[in-house]
Amino acid sequence: MSQAPNRELEPEGPSRGDRDLAVVGKRLVRVDAGERVTGRAIYPADLVRPGMIVGAVKRSAEAHARIIDIDVSRARALKGVLAVVTAADFPVVAPGTLIPFGETGADAWASSVIAIARDKVLWRGQPVAAVAAVDAHVAEAALALIEVTYERLPVVADMRAAMAPDAPLLHPEWTPKGFDAGEAPPRNAGSRTLITRGDIAAAMLQAEVFAAIATISDTAHQGYIEPMACVAEADPQGNVTLWASTQGAFPTEIQTAVVCGLPQSKLRVIPLEVGGAFGGKINVHLEPYAVRLAQITGRPVKMVMSRADTLMGGSGPAAAAEIEVRVGARKDGRITSIEGRYLLDTGGIPGTPTTLVMQASAACYQTQALRLEGMDVCTNKPRTEAYRGPGGIQAAFAFEQAVDELALKLDMCPLELRRRNASVTGSTMPIGTPFPVIGLTGVIEAVARHACWTDPIAPGALPRGRGLALGYWRGTSMTSAAHVTMSGDGRPMVTMGAVDISGTRTAMAQVAAEEFGLAIEDVYVATGDTKSAGYSDVSAGSRVGRTMAAAVSEACRDALAQLRRRAAEKLQAPADTLDYGRGAFRVGGASISLGELMRTTAGEGAIIGKGVSSKLPLGMEIGAQVADVEVDPETGQVTVLRYTAFQDVGRALNPPAVEGQIEGSVVQGLGWALTEGFDYDAQARLRNASLLDYRIPTALDVPPIEVVLLETPVPGVPYGVRGVGEMPIVPPAAVIGNAIRRAIGVRLTHMPMTPERVRAALRMAGKG
Amino acid sequence: MKRVVTLDVNGEAREALVDTRDTLLVLLRDRLGLTGTKEGCGNGNCGSCTVLVAGEPVCACLMMACEADGARITTIEGVAQGNALHPVQQALIAHGGTQCGFCTPGIVLSAIALFEREPAPSNHAIRHAIAGNLCRCTGYDKIVKAIASVAGAKA
Repeated sequence: MSQAPNRELEPEGPSRGDRDLAVVGKRLVRVDAGERVTGRAIYPADLVRPGMIVGAVKRSAEAHARIIDIDVSRARALKGVLAVVTAADFPVVAPGTLIPFGETGADAWASSVIAIARDKVLWRGQPVAAVAAVDAHVAEAALALIEVTYERLPVVADMRAAMAPDAPLLHPEWTPKGFDAGEAPPRNAGSRTLITRGDIAAAMLQAEVFAAIATISDTAHQGYIEPMACVAEADPQGNVTLWASTQGAFPTEIQTAVVCGLPQSKLRVIPLEVGGAFGGKINVHLEPYAVRLAQITGRPVKMVMSRADTLMGGSGPAAAAEIEVRVGARKDGRITSIEGRYLLDTGGIPGTPTTLVMQASAACYQTQALRLEGMDVCTNKPRTEAYRGPGGIQAAFAFEQAVDELALKLDMCPLELRRRNASVTGSTMPIGTPFPVIGLTGVIEAVARHACWTDPIAPGALPRGRGLALGYWRGTSMTSAAHVTMSGDGRPMVTMGAVDISGTRTAMAQVAAEEFGLAIEDVYVATGDTKSAGYSDVSAGSRVGRTMAAAVSEACRDALAQLRRRAAEKLQAPADTLDYGRGAFRVGGASISLGELMRTTAGEGAIIGKGVSSKLPLGMEIGAQVADVEVDPETGQVTVLRYTAFQDVGRALNPPAVEGQIEGSVVQGLGWALTEGFDYDAQARLRNASLLDYRIPTALDVPPIEVVLLETPVPGVPYGVRGVGEMPIVPPAAVIGNAIRRAIGVRLTHMPMTPERVRAALRMAGKG
Repeated sequence: MKRVVTLDVNGEAREALVDTRDTLLVLLRDRLGLTGTKEGCGNGNCGSCTVLVAGEPVCACLMMACEADGARITTIEGVAQGNALHPVQQALIAHGGTQCGFCTPGIVLSAIALFEREPAPSNHAIRHAIAGNLCRCTGYDKIVKAIASVAGAKA
């Protein structure tokens, strides 16, 4: 018998890559679909706790004002009201209170101001107080009895007004970041970021043709169908349980703990089902009030946000933007210079980031030099939050239309222009680092071969056109954790620390089944809470599938290594001589199944496998989309006739789930492209605060979306998985804009490209 | 003000004490504990609260609880027969037609009502039948394919 001291046991299972996969990559149905189609899935608004009461939020009627006084006496006196709280019931959180959050941490001051206005209100709908009452009717009556005395301040409703030389300052104490010593930052600027590479002046001199565009994107909303909701319950020992609809139990825990002044260890956040989030359920909104009201009353408190409150200041929509881009190229189409200016509306609190937006904008293209400048600007509107590839669609609406205009000026096929400039593995990214492995040229060739590009546009009575745009999103990795235990009958039970917002439970069941050589029915996957699972970052940034696959496969291998040692004892053979496959260990003619192993050794101690993924190589998302549209010049109506989305997903863990993510994300993009936009008046009052007038696509508004998946695996990542969900929302507005330009000869520069705006553009061009 | 409302829910006679300001949605969810019907907007624009009233699809948030006195209501809880799923439910599972699941109960009921009217609806008729059910996750593609597969089976 050979002895190899300290030899590492080989990792079990196929996660080292090249073998045929039995479960991962198969078209399997969601493991949790049954509860969804029967209405048994539990969202926080469905939860009932003994003695539960209802919480409700009093929201600011002013867009910009000092809070002089809040009189809660009449509300407190109303029969059925158990508590009323204001900012006075919460600790002051100073600006610069950094909490671990995302890649760079976050300022909990912003979290606290989003949840509870203190001394000043910065947007209409910002929370100023909350009540707990025996039912929703009493709560609503109590809100009406809270009297807030405001000292009105002048309102800035948009970025232009905010940057005017005499504009009122939303945050006089804020020092704008990223400006040089001698520079006077624009008023209400948050921070400025500059990305430069190469000699832009020289590069511009080398250009023989330029295309420039200035675009506006209106504020849009993530549009999750489930409004925010939570239930909080406190016990006499000061432990608090919070059931939430959230993209991250751990981020919700830390934000809520800091805003409430509660030690994190005293708070347990249990994530329930999430009815859509898309970036809008990362920040806390109701949770601090629910916790405080539960602590004060000693009763469980349920808080559910109405749709009206959601749209009118209770949540953080996606940032409005003004973006200018100028691209210079030689006559052969090679891009030499890229310049861009990106203004993002951050709403009432500075801090909406611009870096990723700028990078995403230009990433697909090689260029000699670039100069990108981004800045967030405060206005008296809700603090903007993330929405699937945040800033990406606004940036692509500008950039991909500029590239399309360049193609027209060069009389070159728009796909050929992309081909001549496409970034490849090793190309320099906007921030100066080399691109890891990407397959953009593969995407371009897939478009070139596809019927959506080679078919002529079907003829019709009205003008029709075809549009193309590329898409890119970097995504993130951060950290994910999972652990695996074994059931008494030998089936793996996986607990993951990240919330499932994209079918993760199913994909991880596939990963675990693959690692153990079992069928997916023999694996159980659950989402843990902050006291039962290992710390995992927020489910956002297209990171969970990839990083949780790494954590789960590591945990499975750890469990299998422990099981191997047990099996070796049972089979009386050295551990490294055993073969493992299909749920059993074998050596010579003997074997023992996982079930038999657990039945006979459970009393020897638990098998607990651990897996933690941290800073995994990024799984950058790249793709292209093509659409044929028809434009009615009389009405301005744009009909999308055909839509095809190409995306390099690295490896599709579950193809129908990946397709579903892409289809949904594309349709969100189409909504923002054509009908979705917040309509604010000059006093920052939202005029379309309902799902009737904030028009998200219905089944009749969109065609079938054809999805073409490509796979260029990411090295160093289990299964080579890339992020999926964010990139697809990036191109649609540009695709449609380019298609409209080809259809009617006019380019729309304000999104959503509503019928009114199409008509106005035609009139301006003398064509309507 | 409180009132007793008596109605048939999923074939069972039920009785509830309601506030006269309650909608049918509140009656179902909060008074009867049937939380499968969801509230997405509260004013009839999203379809998440779709139930059948005498077989017709209705937004429960647009009907007052007192109006439902004596009515015959079908909610998502009444669709499956025990653990035997309705073909629409099976098809949504098989085709990936549910992601977050929040719009799904309403879609199931709209689809069931459609099949009562038209055993073999076209894709356009399917999209029309669920046009009042907003979905943000799926882009509708796999939902329509799922419902069409049931139509195909019936055709």
